[in-house]
Amino acid sequence: MEPVLRVSGLSKQYKKGIYAADNVSFEIQKGEIFALIGPNGAGKTTTIRMISTLLQPTEGDAAVDGFTITKEPDKVRQNITYLPDEAGAYKTMTGRGYLQFMASMYTDSKEQAAEYVRRAEDICGLGERLKDKIDSYSRGMSRKLLLARAVMSHPSLAILDEPTSGLDIINALEIRRMIKDLAARGMSFLLSSHNMLEIEFVSNRVGIIAKGKLLVCGTPQELKEQYGVNNLEEVFEKVVNASEVS
Amino acid sequence: MKFLNLLRKELKELFTLQMLISLALTVLLFVGLGTMMSDAVDDAVEASGTITICDQDQTDLTEAIIDLMKTTDTNGNGTPDYEVKTVDITSADYAAELKRLDLSEVVIIPKGFSAQVEANQKADVEYVSALTSSSQMSNLSIGSDTAIAFLSSAVKSALYEQKNMTMEEITLLEAPLNTIETTVVGDNSAEASSSSLISIISMQSMFVPLVVFILVIYSSQMIISAISTEKINKTLETLLSAPVSRLAVLSSKMLAAAIASAVNAVVYMIGFNKMMDGMTGDLLASSNGAYDSVMSQLGLNLSFGDYALLGMQMFLTILISLSVSLILGALAKDTKAAQTMLMPIMILAMLPYMLTMFVDIKTMTPVLKYLVYAIPFTHTFIASENIMFDNMSLYWGGFAYQVVLLIICMTVAVRIFTSDKIFTLTLDFSKKHSAKKKAFAFGKK
Repeated sequence: MEPVLRVSGLSKQYKKGIYAADNVSFEIQKGEIFALIGPNGAGKTTTIRMISTLLQPTEGDAAVDGFTITKEPDKVRQNITYLPDEAGAYKTMTGRGYLQFMASMYTDSKEQAAEYVRRAEDICGLGERLKDKIDSYSRGMSRKLLLARAVMSHPSLAILDEPTSGLDIINALEIRRMIKDLAARGMSFLLSSHNMLEIEFVSNRVGIIAKGKLLVCGTPQELKEQYGVNNLEEVFEKVVNASEVS
Repeated sequence: MKFLNLLRKELKELFTLQMLISLALTVLLFVGLGTMMSDAVDDAVEASGTITICDQDQTDLTEAIIDLMKTTDTNGNGTPDYEVKTVDITSADYAAELKRLDLSEVVIIPKGFSAQVEANQKADVEYVSALTSSSQMSNLSIGSDTAIAFLSSAVKSALYEQKNMTMEEITLLEAPLNTIETTVVGDNSAEASSSSLISIISMQSMFVPLVVFILVIYSSQMIISAISTEKINKTLETLLSAPVSRLAVLSSKMLAAAIASAVNAVVYMIGFNKMMDGMTGDLLASSNGAYDSVMSQLGLNLSFGDYALLGMQMFLTILISLSVSLILGALAKDTKAAQTMLMPIMILAMLPYMLTMFVDIKTMTPVLKYLVYAIPFTHTFIASENIMFDNMSLYWGGFAYQVVLLIICMTVAVRIFTSDKIFTLTLDFSKKHSAKKKAFAFGKK
């Protein structure tokens, strides 16, 4: 079966000789939740930004639903949504206004846009507060709104950078369940997170990246067995420390 | 101690590198302005020692007055105070005469001057000056004022020599001259005081540069803030990962800022117009429309077409400031950097704004003149003056230069916006980077 996302030798050089991402390759299948984890400055965001068509790769390519990011970025954007880490929303808009605005970016059909907004309203659970300006929202409320926006159009691939940052335990659990539920219904996810518990709970497969290179890839269980440890945090520590030594 | 630590912390936050740079630039700006203006002052001082006079009466009295002008040496150092140039003006077409003699002003002693003095009448003296700019220091007439003062005092002396003075003679003594002023603009001339005309033009047109200045700053601030805020809040990343073209995002931002600027321009112009009507309305009404007809005669009134040219120039300026701001906004790393980005635009707008108020840029030294002309906003500040004084080659030259500059700035802005650079380019004033850190300062985690 054709993967939803195929990343092949993706590299990004910001300055000559300095690779932020170096020959990164992985795949995400339909309905799969793939987590890209790594220390700060490892190249996670650069890789995610290239897949989101925000940055041009120096070498390599990636394809979403068969459309490549280098040759068909417009078509790729129709099949993905991206939620950056610590992203904000337009503070002068109301929550509903923001959802309507973003829905209009994904479809020209008014009915379709209204359907997206209805879906997002259900997902975010902000109720009457959607009538208020985003300026008055707490960080958690803003994050829920943005997450709802990211999945409302049912993209083939939702790219979420630190999806639950700023959320309390209950809200974070809700979001994780929502991601799993949407994946079960066929949506694929590329996540990035520093929360190993979250990764272990939510993701089907994990890729650990350091110094721009994707070092290991597998299910949380496979990785724990491979490194003979009890949790993903210890896997992460071993992999990253080994990369520092090399 | 706690207070001192708090104060130290507050001062450290206020006296940032951005603030020091802006202070240094402000000092440089005023030093630059002073240097440029000192040239204009030097020219005015030099001109004050020169008297250009035309003696059409050619009697013993007028020749004696001119001799007195030539030999006056108040310092007693053997060098006359004034350089007196005598010229011949044969026709009443003063515009042509000034052009032929390459003069900006002349005092004419008309035929019959001495006869009027002998007949105890007010003696006519004509003062002709060419108006070439509305700037304050471009039409100083110290030399001619001196010539008129000499003539006045000579007539007073002649009257003193007469005995048994009547009341009328004493009144005449107080104001012995009837100065007839003629102002020349291009090929037109009209009987009017150039200083009064400058006052009226200045009052009527002072709001145009002010509106331009406000618009440049306002539109720049809007677009810098719009781009940098979207970049900092990462709403730009969200938006540009959606199925929408980057050019559509860019052009919608620019168009919105241009519309907001245009609305502001209209509101400011209406407001200033009303204010100036209140200030100058009574003045113009008291002259019974005399100045209005003089302005028309000299071609100083702006037609609908002239206003259209002025509007085009203003719109072009707004587009340039928007495209430059777009580039600067893309470079901003944080809110403080975004505020600092406004500084270069502010300086580029303030320099020509202040210069054009006081100095006629055309008369500056070539190097300074072309340096000032290189600032795109200069051409907008001098646009109304160029149109008014029929310097259309300068207007269109400036317009063409602005169009070229706009194309360059827009190309750069579009390239930044449609490439990685919108996310990777930053100018960070807040930290001193080591070479190693610099290598990693390209927008990645």
